[in-house]
Amino acid sequence: MGNFVEGLTYNFLGAGAPPTREERIGACHAFCGSCRQLSENIKSGCANLSDRKFSQSGGCQLMLAVGIVSSLSNVVMIIHSPLGCCSGFVGSGGLRKTMRASKGKKDEDFVWLHTNLDELDVVQGGIDKLKRAILYAEKEYHPEAIIIANGCVPGIIGDDIDSLVTELSDTISAKIVPVHCEGFKSKYVASGYDSAYHGVLKHLLNPAEIYDNILPRASEDRDDKERNRISRTINIFNVGSNSFGDEAELSRLVSALGLIPKVLPLHASLDELAHIGEAALNVSICATHDDYLLGHLKERFGTEYLIDTLPIGIRNTNQWIRLIAERFHLEDEAERLITLETKQLQEALEPLKAALKGKKIFVGGGETRILTTAEFFYSLGMELVGVKAHNVDRFVENILDDMENQELVIEVAAGQPAEELNILNRLKPDIYIGHLNANGWVSKLGIPNFPLFGQQLNFMGYSGAFELARKAVKILKNTNFVKNVSANVKLPLSDEWFLRDPKDNIKEAAIY
Amino acid sequence: MAEFIERAKFSCALGGALTTIAGLPRAVPIVHASGGCAAALSNTYNLASGYRGTGYCGGTMIPTTNISENNIVFGGEDRLKEQIEHSLEILDADLYIVVTGCQVEIIGDDAVSVSRQFRDKKVVGTNTPGFLGNTFKGYDSVVKLLIKEVIKQAPQKEEKTVNILGIVPGHDVFYRGNLDEIKRLLNLAGVKANTFFGTDESIDAISEYGKASLNIVFSEQAGIESAELLKEIHNIPYVLADIPVGPSGTEEFLRRIGRELLLDKEVVFRVIEDEKRIYYSYLERIVDIYSDIDFQRYAIVAADSYYAYALTRFLANDLGWIPHLTAIHDIYDEEARKLYLKKFDTLTSETKPEIIFEEHAGSILKEVRKSWPYNQNQKYYDALGPAFVVGSGIERSLAETIGAGFLAVSFPVSNRVVLSKGYAGYRGGLTLVEDLITQLVAAR
Repeated sequence: MGNFVEGLTYNFLGAGAPPTREERIGACHAFCGSCRQLSENIKSGCANLSDRKFSQSGGCQLMLAVGIVSSLSNVVMIIHSPLGCCSGFVGSGGLRKTMRASKGKKDEDFVWLHTNLDELDVVQGGIDKLKRAILYAEKEYHPEAIIIANGCVPGIIGDDIDSLVTELSDTISAKIVPVHCEGFKSKYVASGYDSAYHGVLKHLLNPAEIYDNILPRASEDRDDKERNRISRTINIFNVGSNSFGDEAELSRLVSALGLIPKVLPLHASLDELAHIGEAALNVSICATHDDYLLGHLKERFGTEYLIDTLPIGIRNTNQWIRLIAERFHLEDEAERLITLETKQLQEALEPLKAALKGKKIFVGGGETRILTTAEFFYSLGMELVGVKAHNVDRFVENILDDMENQELVIEVAAGQPAEELNILNRLKPDIYIGHLNANGWVSKLGIPNFPLFGQQLNFMGYSGAFELARKAVKILKNTNFVKNVSANVKLPLSDEWFLRDPKDNIKEAAIY
Repeated sequence: MAEFIERAKFSCALGGALTTIAGLPRAVPIVHASGGCAAALSNTYNLASGYRGTGYCGGTMIPTTNISENNIVFGGEDRLKEQIEHSLEILDADLYIVVTGCQVEIIGDDAVSVSRQFRDKKVVGTNTPGFLGNTFKGYDSVVKLLIKEVIKQAPQKEEKTVNILGIVPGHDVFYRGNLDEIKRLLNLAGVKANTFFGTDESIDAISEYGKASLNIVFSEQAGIESAELLKEIHNIPYVLADIPVGPSGTEEFLRRIGRELLLDKEVVFRVIEDEKRIYYSYLERIVDIYSDIDFQRYAIVAADSYYAYALTRFLANDLGWIPHLTAIHDIYDEEARKLYLKKFDTLTSETKPEIIFEEHAGSILKEVRKSWPYNQNQKYYDALGPAFVVGSGIERSLAETIGAGFLAVSFPVSNRVVLSKGYAGYRGGLTLVEDLITQLVAAR
């Protein structure tokens, strides 16, 4: 899998902000067609040069960036922007609470501030206000870190946040972390992950100092033990769409190989982050999220990393285990584990397969997650009629090439429900699995559906595979909700649009 | 100049515009901004307004020009034009409203001019960059646009027709239930109420709002700009009123409107008597349990100015709770604060509340602690309890910290689902009692 990251470098900390995904990786965000055509377009470079005539609102890299850093323990967030950016915090405080509870972490109030930029600030700059907000956060809450995420306005008017951070960092005890994530900078919201990790890497990863022990040999003994522990430790990099169930299952599998799993960096304390370098292997479960982080950690701490598939479904979980085991020469152990687990799982899945066999399925969401989820349902005997990816980049090229049905419908779009509903209306799947904010529209179209991730859902590993199958069966046990909704609630799309080919909406980008 | 705010209970002007448009019947926003603004802001109200949903064409369905860095350099007006053209073909609506984000306003795109080119195709436009201010600014921008572009001139006024302003969809989590109840009560008194966002409205109906003879504005922070414009363009005067919650507030409201519209006193009297009788016939049900286990509480209210006084008055004058502290987070002007304080003179409870103006949500806990003698671990301590916090979702941790009961009413509300219910009027008063007392018996 070395080829995924071939040619990528990760030494950008000298800069205030990381390069955008457009610059760093290159990706396709607008495509309608078959897997084969998309593969060809990626290889020829055309895929990255398309855009839409009619576009709908998608994500903003700011949201994804704050999604990462706001999960850390004992931090205060400052949103340097007018009141709208991250106003969603007013509705998500409870989710942070339940997530922390599910992980057995101490409940803590989530505190955020808005600098509340107004017209005058647009003219005069907002740095003074930001300074007052930082000092307020320090005085009122004395958090371990104050994280500043800035919206578009400071980016356009040129507020120099980094200089302010330098000025204040010696005068207050909290670490100040600027995260530069202006929404207009990138059409690939995943750039926000890089922005967040850039800030974390630059300002929060300070390895804990180790002091010599005064007793004879004690330091050496301790260091030996530490080296031994580290040589068996792997960091599993969690993402916002993980549930605690996923983390528990992946940790179980890694432990079964005799390795020590640590789950990072979401919801971690700064102390846990300080020890991030103490591992023999860093394992990504989603390339879209963390190649920037893992690539950098390799350059900084020399920790090897694994960026491959997402452990969803049987085949990809097996592959994930094998690739980890290989690094530790635990191939035999891995095979024994896989044999045992798949046997038990297959037996459990048998009664569920009957209900799913031959049913049509469509999956939409993040590129790796949808392709692995689709593969799993296909393996259960369902008919895969199409997939929709937020964007497509080098990390799934080989999965695309491996798709058995090269004519499979694939749409590349972040959001864009008009195109998606048009496609779904043609394909008429029996069940749809989709990303947050997509499923409501699909319900209004009358297609039974369930979410692609969720705090309460276990998707990953073998237990996740069983839960996924169980959920699909459950959804089909009564489809009246979507039937009633679609019969009585109107979509805003014109009748004419449903007759048009959604491909016509894709155009060549005016300026890349 | 606006100062930084800790845990602001607002979105920006664009957010206010979008939640307002989502409340309009068959209206579609077209957002000239970066790709994420529209869905994110719409989603704020989806989740924090009692799971109101994104609406007819909200969330990821919102057409957006999706401008990025090169548009910041070269301008985005052409992109907006292209987006409007395709939106007209793909989306089905009675009104398309072009609104703008910060990025395009800073670079100087003229979105309103571009939208004027499509005026014959039901397209209108206004400027709503986030830095213009909070949710209320966006509400007024959109309503003012309707007043200018949609509402037709009507020299002939209808004596007993009123327009309702100041109830901001989504920001008032219960806006639709509230509007429907206000409309019902006014109808009983022989008055037709135009609500913009209530049940059975349409863009066609809104175009006839110029016939009203009075505008009632239920907020001092939202709707006044619109009312002034209605006065200027359509020659309709306005009055300010408090959202009527429960019997005493509603009675005062109906008498007031009766006086303004010169309604038959007997009719108004009958409506009040009938409704009050029904109210107490239901309230009677909880009298036993209320008295048997003492459901009287010290009330701490934390809300915007729209709800703060209305709720405090209900709790003090109708329910008989002890108004202890009321915190208001959306009035910044000193004069306006003084005027707002005067409202509380109407409280009939033996105890009067302390009123504070505090925009930082985290400071309310400190204020509560300051408001009561500190527990010195003495043998006999007269504690602030049993207490109950009626606030927004943000105050849940305040309630937990001081061991008080809790109900979220003011925006944001994300721990309950709100469909048709409202707290306005007599029916709303009953609903509020149900919701408050339910919290007290929920563990039984």
